[in-house]
Amino acid sequence: MEFAELIRTGQAQAELLRGPEEPPLRGTLCITGHHLMLSPGPQATPDLWLLLLRNVDSIEKRVAGDSGTITLRCKDLRVLQLDIEGVEATLDIARSIEALSSLESVITSFPFFYRPKGLRLGDAWHFHPPECYYKRVARETNAWRLSEANEDFSLCPSYPRAVIVPRAVDDSALARSARFRQGGRFPVLSYYHAPSGTVLLRAGQPLTGPQKRRCSEDEDLLRAVLAGARPGARGFIVDTRSPQAAKQARMTGGGTEAKAAYPGWKRLHRPLETGRPLQESFVRLVEACGDLEQSMDRWLNRLESCRWLSHVKETLSTACLAAQSMEQEGACVLVHGAEGTDSTLLITSLAQLILDPLSRTMAGFQELIEREWIQAGHPFQLRCAHSAFSHARPKHEAPTFLLFLDCVWQLGRQFPLSLEFGEGMLLALFDHAYASPFGTFLCNNEKERCLCEVRTRTHSLWSGLSQPKEQRKLRNPLYVPNPLAIWPSAEPQSLRLWQGDPPPPPWRSSRLCSASLPVLFLLRPVSARDPST
Amino acid sequence: MEFAELIKTPRVDNVVLHRPFYPPVEGTLCLTGHHLILSSRQDNTEELWLLHSNIDAIDKRFVGPLGTIIIKCKDFRIIQLDIPGMEECLNIASSIEISEWRLSYVNKEFAVCPSYPPAVIVPKAVDDEALRKVATFRHGGRFPVLSYYHKKNGMVIMRSGQPLTGTNGRRCKEDEKLINATLRAGKRGYIIDTRPLNVAQQARAKGGGFEQEAHYPQWRRIHKSIERYHILQESLIKLVESCNDQTQNMDRWLSKLEASNWLTHIKEILTTACLAAQCLDREGASILVHGTEGTDSTLQVTSLAQIILEPRSRTIRGFEALIEREWLQAGHPFQQRCAQSAYCNSKQKWEAPVFLLFLDCVWQILRQFPCSFEFNENFLIMLFEHAYASQFGTFLGNNESERCKLKLQQKTMSLWSWVNRPSELSKFTNPLFEANNLVIWPSVAPQSLQLWEGIFLRWNRSSKYLDEAYEEMVNIIEYNKELQAKVNLLRRQLAELETEDGVQESP
Repeated sequence: MEFAELIRTGQAQAELLRGPEEPPLRGTLCITGHHLMLSPGPQATPDLWLLLLRNVDSIEKRVAGDSGTITLRCKDLRVLQLDIEGVEATLDIARSIEALSSLESVITSFPFFYRPKGLRLGDAWHFHPPECYYKRVARETNAWRLSEANEDFSLCPSYPRAVIVPRAVDDSALARSARFRQGGRFPVLSYYHAPSGTVLLRAGQPLTGPQKRRCSEDEDLLRAVLAGARPGARGFIVDTRSPQAAKQARMTGGGTEAKAAYPGWKRLHRPLETGRPLQESFVRLVEACGDLEQSMDRWLNRLESCRWLSHVKETLSTACLAAQSMEQEGACVLVHGAEGTDSTLLITSLAQLILDPLSRTMAGFQELIEREWIQAGHPFQLRCAHSAFSHARPKHEAPTFLLFLDCVWQLGRQFPLSLEFGEGMLLALFDHAYASPFGTFLCNNEKERCLCEVRTRTHSLWSGLSQPKEQRKLRNPLYVPNPLAIWPSAEPQSLRLWQGDPPPPPWRSSRLCSASLPVLFLLRPVSARDPST
Repeated sequence: MEFAELIKTPRVDNVVLHRPFYPPVEGTLCLTGHHLILSSRQDNTEELWLLHSNIDAIDKRFVGPLGTIIIKCKDFRIIQLDIPGMEECLNIASSIEISEWRLSYVNKEFAVCPSYPPAVIVPKAVDDEALRKVATFRHGGRFPVLSYYHKKNGMVIMRSGQPLTGTNGRRCKEDEKLINATLRAGKRGYIIDTRPLNVAQQARAKGGGFEQEAHYPQWRRIHKSIERYHILQESLIKLVESCNDQTQNMDRWLSKLEASNWLTHIKEILTTACLAAQCLDREGASILVHGTEGTDSTLQVTSLAQIILEPRSRTIRGFEALIEREWLQAGHPFQQRCAQSAYCNSKQKWEAPVFLLFLDCVWQILRQFPCSFEFNENFLIMLFEHAYASQFGTFLGNNESERCKLKLQQKTMSLWSWVNRPSELSKFTNPLFEANNLVIWPSVAPQSLQLWEGIFLRWNRSSKYLDEAYEEMVNIIEYNKELQAKVNLLRRQLAELETEDGVQESP
């Protein structure tokens, strides 16, 4: 299919409103296969304004007289307004944007065409292979090995080619355990905590089913974990579902680990929402944030009833529980929910940020995202297909990754010196997860990325972000390495709505000017109104 | 008063003078005690010497950074001065402008209004006799006085107590004359009543009331609703209680925060202050603010409007002056309002965290404009502490009259004398401060207002990490300044070396 077929009109005269902070932009509007472009003419600076069409979440058109207005609500939560000359042109442009922004094919997406100057294809893709983290683990302990049992993605389609497993367990046992776990996600090492010699594992739910099926290889695997840690070590299984939900899962073939079958392991239930309730929470929050005229009561009421901050609180306190079990009780921890690709990853990645000073550095955080989200098989393509503005019926969308970034932001707010990256990094990750010229967040897992040849045909976000001019925006100028664990407070009074207006760096002479509303991350409105009119 | 005090900018260069029959002259403008002088400092051109007493009226206009003052003289001559720089132009204009205001000592013995200071600023056209009459028509004797003069356009904020119209709609000619004297010809003003209309109407039954349109045709009345007294105190008690409750989930916390209504009060006060500032700066209209007594919500509005409009009030000295003028001398009854705080069970009608709400509103603006204030959050927290309990005499008593009787000036130390010592000042200085001469419009959308953790969660959370971050930020800024100084020094040395080279090479 050709993009040209979907483009109904070449160009039109238009005026763009980008929000209260910036002046309107006038010029010629063009649509290409991947972009919406506005060219204000050669004298103007900047001479071109670009929007990735993939970023458009919803589109609304209005015509009046001989002109029209298109409101674009973007996945990064920006709201843009285009005033276009000509009714026909408006309708054509709206239809073209609609068609082009909803293309689902991965290999025709922009990252496959993006060839920026100064970057070479293939750079940075080799930064964080599983071998890399295994070397770190192997330096500390001999109890673990790198298994390539999943070389052809046959054991588990959502795992990478190589995973870290107990040395005592061979590949055929892994294959059996994979058959006993949802999506083939057998328990693998997520993080080795060297000071206490304990490990963090993640998996999918065991497929016990109504008959309470068992799997001796799976039991052996977990026994080997405890044996490898230290004599007498205990383990905790953190199930991210409520006891009832875990029990109900048996009816559909899932379930949870029976106490008798896993001696030494204790199960804890910490229910975390995923899927649709989370997406709805996100949509309602953004909706509430967009209304500047409401009363304080109504705002607080909506903030409460959307439950977003409750999700943040539950997530953070569960991550603290996992981290505490390892550091303070010297116990091994296995985390899973149902699929093991959403709330599970939230907990394992946050626990590492709490415990591991390395993951709080710029490079370490990128490695963490690569290892615990991208390679661990969080289905970005499905979860981030739409953001909070879309009217399409949600299917698999959920802002799990945004919830993770929000929790990291809360950590950064409570420990302003301890993260090497700043709020700019978190905002960039959010933007790129939903729409990006880079290939990093494409597809749902490594298997799909292999099929699409993402690694050889697109640029990596990590090399994009490593450009010096990007780094300035991403770093936390206050960073001082902190070798200790950082224990966040998950009390409701300690948590804040993430607004996303990084304060101006002190050494630059930037200052907030008059007549401006602070731009909320969750609120990038079209027009500002005077406060009291 | 000395002439020198009135002259804010004694000299401006590159001023262009236009006058009849002469070509434009560029030169230096000087203001002396009696004259306005423009000299091109060239022998053959004539200098202008204009007696201040010859000035009949002046107009000012701005085009970009260039200001123009048109001086209309008593001998019918009209001359024009083009002055580069808005600040200079405003200073010159305000120095030569004939003041429409005077200082009145009618309240010298605190007999006219017990809660006013001995000296107040009133329109020149109104004499002390009239002021005495107006005082009998206003609650607590609080006749309208000047609170703030907006240099940019000459508009003013006045404040007073409610008019005592009562049920028979009593009127007072002198009151009408007084507030009309503040209006320019053909201009309208706004009266901002901090009570909702129905409350203002009910007040008539108790002898109070509001200005009737018929008697004040040049004024438009706007009613806002800022809560008072025990409602505020209860709000504070509920808020502090829920902040201290460590055993709750997110839903409960947010609904308790909502139920305390504290942030709603903040929003109402800030909205009204923005409205007042807008009337002055955007509409170019003067305003009169009052509620009932004119000692609580009135002062919140007039002082916050000044924070928004007046860059000087965002400096440490300027903010101290604002507190002194708009709260202490303006008669906010600190002794009564701050007798008890959030934990005490004795609920007295006159206790209310009016001043704390004001400080919270300032904090909200500071948070939105982190570089525009010379002081930091600690300065506001310090003022809160001293308003409720202090080893200094500054916040004692309910008004100047009481402070006089207690001889506080002789018997106690002033808070300001302690605060202004360099060792203390360094704790209160905002390292991000860069003088911002603009009006700053805060957002009052509910999403923009936040709980002031520095006050309300101060004893529940260790601020260790935040303090460390603050220290680090100060260090970075200091280091940056050092580097900047080094760069400048090296540049100078380079320039010197280059000229030396030039000198050596030339012979």
